Amino acid sequence: MKNQITLFSIYFILICIALALFRIFVGPKTSDRLMALAVISSLVLAMLVILGVQDGKSPYLDVALLYDIFGFLGIFAISRLIKEK
Amino acid sequence: MFNILWNITVLIITFLSAIFTLLGVIGLYRFKDNYARLQASSLATTTAPFTYFILALLLSNDWQSRLRVIVIILFFFISSPITTQIIARYIWKSEGETER
Repeated sequence: MKNQITLFSIYFILICIALALFRIFVGPKTSDRLMALAVISSLVLAMLVILGVQDGKSPYLDVALLYDIFGFLGIFAISRLIKEK
Repeated sequence: MFNILWNITVLIITFLSAIFTLLGVIGLYRFKDNYARLQASSLATTTAPFTYFILALLLSNDWQSRLRVIVIILFFFISSPITTQIIARYIWKSEGETER
């Protein structure tokens, strides 16, 4: 039961990440790409936490905490340094 | 009895989190305005991972991983709405108000 639920959740998050990745390629403005990047960052964090809860995969939770911090700092840096074309 | 209740709760929260991510990502494509798209993407940025964290709290084995998930929840609850506000300010500085 636990293995099936985590497998379903991980596959579903992967599908949604692929959908949002398409928006980074297509989006006509910079703000669309920035929004899709924030969505991808948060969904990858959720996937890392679901992976880290399984048996024997406990270091993924430490990776998830650092990824949260760096994702936030990255979005902040991009919005300061890149201007709209 | 307690086992059945736990199973039903886990299934309901899994279903809810799947709905939140799908609605958040579909909303990126369907709205025409930049601010409306930001509102839809904040579903996928804040609400959906929060539900996944609650699911991880229910599914974990021991208290060591539960405490780490609680630390992640504390930092995420503060940083993620600030990210949405930073993006909204970026849209305001580049475009301004929208005409209707």
